Amino acid sequence: MKKFSNLLKKEIKELVTAQLIVSLIFTIILFNFMGSLIKSEAKKGFEKRNIYVLDLDRSNLSTEVLNNLSFGNFRIKLVNDLIEKEDKNLAIKYTKENNIDFLMVIPKDFEKSISKFKPKEVEIYSFIRSLSMGSSIGSSLINQVIDAINRFISNNFLKSKFPEVDPEVLKNPIKSKEFIVVKDKLAEGSSSQVISMIYSQSIFIPIILMMVIMFTSQMVLSAIAMEKQDKTLETLLTVPISRKQIVIAKMMGAGIVGIISAGIYMLGYRSFMGGIMGEVGTSEITSQIIQKLGLKLTTSGYILLGISLFLAILCALALSTILGVLAEDLKSAQSMILPLIFLIMIPYFLSFFSDINSLSLPIKIFVLAIPFSHPFLASSNILLGNYSLVFYGIIYMLVVFIILIFISARIFSTDKVLTMKLRFGGKKLFKKAS
Amino acid sequence: MDIILQVENLKKNYGKITALKGISFEVKKGEIFALIGPNGAGKTTALRIIATLISPSEGKVFFRGRNIRENPDFVRENISYLPEEAGAYKNMKGIDYLKFMANFYAKDSREANTFIERAVNISGLGERLNDKVGTYSKGMIRKLLIARALMTKPLLAILDEPTSGLDVINALEIREIIREYVKEGTTVLLSSHNMLEIEFLSDRVALIDNGRILEIGTSEELKNRYSSRNLEEVFRRVVQ
Repeated sequence: MKKFSNLLKKEIKELVTAQLIVSLIFTIILFNFMGSLIKSEAKKGFEKRNIYVLDLDRSNLSTEVLNNLSFGNFRIKLVNDLIEKEDKNLAIKYTKENNIDFLMVIPKDFEKSISKFKPKEVEIYSFIRSLSMGSSIGSSLINQVIDAINRFISNNFLKSKFPEVDPEVLKNPIKSKEFIVVKDKLAEGSSSQVISMIYSQSIFIPIILMMVIMFTSQMVLSAIAMEKQDKTLETLLTVPISRKQIVIAKMMGAGIVGIISAGIYMLGYRSFMGGIMGEVGTSEITSQIIQKLGLKLTTSGYILLGISLFLAILCALALSTILGVLAEDLKSAQSMILPLIFLIMIPYFLSFFSDINSLSLPIKIFVLAIPFSHPFLASSNILLGNYSLVFYGIIYMLVVFIILIFISARIFSTDKVLTMKLRFGGKKLFKKAS
Repeated sequence: MDIILQVENLKKNYGKITALKGISFEVKKGEIFALIGPNGAGKTTALRIIATLISPSEGKVFFRGRNIRENPDFVRENISYLPEEAGAYKNMKGIDYLKFMANFYAKDSREANTFIERAVNISGLGERLNDKVGTYSKGMIRKLLIARALMTKPLLAILDEPTSGLDVINALEIREIIREYVKEGTTVLLSSHNMLEIEFLSDRVALIDNGRILEIGTSEELKNRYSSRNLEEVFRRVVQ
């Protein structure tokens, strides 16, 4: 055990380099900075907006419309009193000079035209001064202004013609009542709301999975490739410690450093995503529906997901160990990780854009044969109560891991650890010693 | 004199290539035994088999009377192997590298400290041991590795081309270290293609070429047998 811990300590120390620490700190700072920047820009976009209005009609209707807008997400400011005379060009000039984002011009005879059911054009000028995300969100408000005016005028008209009827009922005579069914549980509510809420809360799971698997694989590959590149492997293989312990120490060291690195990386990423998505608003009603349908991960669900992820990491570590033996140096190890990334990316993208059950049988078999697919599928299977699929996935990954660890231990206990090489663009070679 | 190592009809194939075609020799306790021959003769393969790094295709090796294939742990605990192109961990300080290696062999921290102290003396690197290995010259790395190989006073030190790639001064220093340490009871099995170096360093030599041992004896015996002035001439005559 003393020898093993000696080796494990060395593995961790070798992987935790100054470069790794600096790059992790830099990543966190960068993500935090980007996240808070995006957050503040997005916040600006949703703030109450000033709408400067030039009312050339000065009618009862135009005044009513503007009063109604003031109750919405707009702050109405009349330009009429701020310029020398009521002229559109003067109003545009004024808004330009005063860095105003929006100007609405209500034309003359606005009330007269509307009362005769002749549409009248309300002009809205939006001044683009930057191409930031905040500006794009702000400009979408123009549509909201037009909608609000239209709604107000049409409701007023309907009220005057049919005073005893609610205008909203006239516009939408049919009402719907949505129900969601999950297995034997039923709840009233919108499926799209529930799905989007679960999605927004679990969007990080596949990203975490991908990051952890990729980090740990990269670490173990580098650990073995570094031993080869620095010509330290031969010496290590002749010290009094079993080859199995060497393999396990390498995998454990890489696993520990990989998980910690991925965790730190994810903290930064979460803050970045928090900036993009904003604080995910948890509607009380939707939460109750989710609770009722049992679409929440319970403790046992988390344990199952954890086991699934842990086994996927072990499979990745064992596979990377084999790939590491094939690598000649650190540079070739970078190429060796490509097939592994490919195997991780398939389930990663599938989990975002598709449903495994809707795939054709051969593709489904191919995807399920990739051990890393199972943790990606596990969270939705646990939520939907398909436990048997989760258990099969866990058993499958365990079998794959045992096979891979057997192969890597076997390689380490034979000449192949020193002689096996894989060169891209060439064939597998056995290096001959002098 | 006790026989510490016995090699019997050792063969090794790498696919279709035969690196060793049945070599046999014995190493006596406390001697420096050298395998000499040109590049590709099979020296490194033989040393790697004895160090339990690779397994032979045929033949047997006995270390202190035990078959090394059946007792690899016993062998690893009692030998030290210095590969030809060995390196040390670049991000470690020299002293930390010695500590790391000592911990594999020492029973307790006291013994580990004794090993480290010895290694510090052997290497002669002084304060530079507190610097990272990545800052060392080739000669310094070789001294560090020699110190690592000899610090545990192994029963058998296997040194593959110990002075390979070193300048004259560094090569001389390493030869002196090896000579000095044999006096303390360590047996050395080394390989080299530098025959003049072997003549200076070794008690007995085996001339190896193309996977076969052609001659075994002391330098003097071989020179007399082939009426030659040095081992280079002996080797040329044996090969011819």
